Amino acid sequence: MSLGRILVVDDEPQIRRVMRTTLVANGYEMAEARSGEDALEMLRNERYDLVLLDVNMPGLGGIATCRTIRTERPGLDLAIIMLTVRNDEKDKVEALDAGADDYVTKPYGTPELLARIRAALRRTPLVQEARPKRLKLDGVEIDFETHLVTTRGKQAHLTVKELDLLSYLVAHPNKVLTRRELLQSVWGPDYGDESEYLRVFTNRLRKKIEPNPSKPRYLLTEPWTGYRFHLPEQD
Amino acid sequence: MPAIREGGTSQLDRGAPPAWMRAAASIAPRLLGSLGIVATVTLVCFHAVRVNAITAGFAYLVAVLAVATWWGLIEATAASIAAMLCFNYFFLPPLLTFTIADPQNWVALLAFLATSIIASQVSEHAKERTREALARQRDMERLYALSRSILLTHTEEDVARQIARQIAQVFDFRAGALYDRATGATYNTGPEDLTGFDERLRESAVKGTLFRDSLTNTVVTAIRLGGEPIGALALRGLLPSDTVLQALANLAAIGLEKARAQEAASHAQAAQQSQELKSTLLDAMAHEFKTPLTSMKAATSALLSDVVSAPASRRELITVVDEEIDHLNRLVTEAIRMARIEAGDLQLTRAPCAVEPMLKEVLGSMESVIAGRSVNLQVAPDLPYVDVDAELVELVIRQLVDNALRYSPSATPLTVRAGRTAGGVVVGIRDHGPGIAPEDRARVFEKYYRGSSSSKARGTGLGLAIAREIARAHGGEVWLETSSPQGSEFCLSLPVAQAEDRA
Repeated sequence: MSLGRILVVDDEPQIRRVMRTTLVANGYEMAEARSGEDALEMLRNERYDLVLLDVNMPGLGGIATCRTIRTERPGLDLAIIMLTVRNDEKDKVEALDAGADDYVTKPYGTPELLARIRAALRRTPLVQEARPKRLKLDGVEIDFETHLVTTRGKQAHLTVKELDLLSYLVAHPNKVLTRRELLQSVWGPDYGDESEYLRVFTNRLRKKIEPNPSKPRYLLTEPWTGYRFHLPEQD
Repeated sequence: MPAIREGGTSQLDRGAPPAWMRAAASIAPRLLGSLGIVATVTLVCFHAVRVNAITAGFAYLVAVLAVATWWGLIEATAASIAAMLCFNYFFLPPLLTFTIADPQNWVALLAFLATSIIASQVSEHAKERTREALARQRDMERLYALSRSILLTHTEEDVARQIARQIAQVFDFRAGALYDRATGATYNTGPEDLTGFDERLRESAVKGTLFRDSLTNTVVTAIRLGGEPIGALALRGLLPSDTVLQALANLAAIGLEKARAQEAASHAQAAQQSQELKSTLLDAMAHEFKTPLTSMKAATSALLSDVVSAPASRRELITVVDEEIDHLNRLVTEAIRMARIEAGDLQLTRAPCAVEPMLKEVLGSMESVIAGRSVNLQVAPDLPYVDVDAELVELVIRQLVDNALRYSPSATPLTVRAGRTAGGVVVGIRDHGPGIAPEDRARVFEKYYRGSSSSKARGTGLGLAIAREIARAHGGEVWLETSSPQGSEFCLSLPVAQAEDRA
């Protein structure tokens, strides 16, 4: 039985070859696309669990492809990991901003990539049980089953990782959660120092759930330590 | 012996009589003319019409005024004296003598003389004013013409030289020299020589002094910008007024300063462009080299950590590493070779080569890049051998094929064809990409240039520039044959080997 269906998008045939060999050997189903355009076409026709997306491709680059996937298919239950040769803060944030869930720098070690893939595909069962099915706040309604957020009649879809992060926060309301705890619980035990992930993801969440994203009422930053989800007393 | 320049006015000057003789020569006919006019009036009044003394006096006055208006003071004075004598002789009693009987007639005669002299002076004065106004207007027109041409100086030629030449041309100077203090260079122009004035020019450019040599009609003045001398100007010929001279120097200063500002701006721009090019190049190189490294690292780390255990899979990974080592080796070799060619070290080891095997060899080595895309090879039958450095020419063909693959969609085919033309053997590589924008077509052969729409495309950007250099070193050429939305074709021409060379 397959552990998941992965779409590899890279214009370098040799890299696709190595990925095909290692992913298949580790129990994944694998499909290949040579360009962002091809990948978008394949995603329209087939269902995948995860996309491994090279940033640096001719034509529609990785960042633009990622953004297009997220806007074209907002409700898609799909994880995206970006691969790039550059390793600076700006590029990471750009990739995450475009809607990626994680980021791997080339050249990468295969065990590390496999760990990232596992983390991206991982669901946290504990979180899913502890959270409510739907949450009604002042001006916002979040449906955890359908990933749908409704703010003043406007609807937005949450990506899987956004949903996981929000579920974890909602399951521990009015309590300061450290960055490390959030990263390890939502992304996986190998994580802990990637504070830029949280910065980008909380921004993404605030844009969807907060009536005024620049003055958040629910998803609050606790300076120096982490984040807190403010849940008003409900009877 | 001083060199004699042709077309100069100096030779004319040398053979001409002294100034006073020339002045006399020009005034003599007019003097005779004025006397002739007086004689005509006398003739008409005395013989033909027979008028009285008062009418004759007025007729003489009119004649003197006419002479003053047409010619000048000297002619008018001569005419007045002649008219007075004639008036006395022919019209004042006793007639036909110079004796004057009635004292009243003395008064009349003197009044006549005074009137004619004053009238001619007034007329002469007005003429002088007109001359001055005309001269000033001409100076203004020349200064305007000069300022226009200084504003329009172009950068292909030294601006200081252009300014010197324009000043000499517009003001008809016999010689002009401009000394630019910043460069220390002197620019001479005009038919005569000013070489003896170098020292004066330098002195004026440092101290700001003004020097006049009336013997040779030469002036040396400083060119100032904001009070500070930045150069000097020496001029010989019909010298203008001090005001005009000052204006000339100011225009020269503006011209020099404008050129300097432009130069500084273009330097800054070039420096910035080269910085951008370097960083683009580094990005592209990083990607080129990291690509095989990425495959290799992914494969070896998988092998080492035992995440892949099946022998067939392990073998597949080792194969990738092996191939990528070759890929990396090729990249390093090409990079070194390109660096050498870049540095101007292009040495050819020529030998007769068959074209078809060479093309097949290149396409074979690019299998992983071609990645299953359809490549059509069309080689004309009985193609002659070419006399080339096979390694370098393969590099060019690989570059052209690589470009064609990169700049066209992955589903489209490629055509590689070779044929005979008058100039040699031509290899064409055609893609079905979107074509090259017209504004980019001429520039694709520039070093580091990338099409405006391909900022994300990879490669060093040296490719086509180097390819063209290699082709030209062979006596061939690389060019863009066609480019349209249906695709582009790049061609390479190669020299044919002589029949006896054929191995």
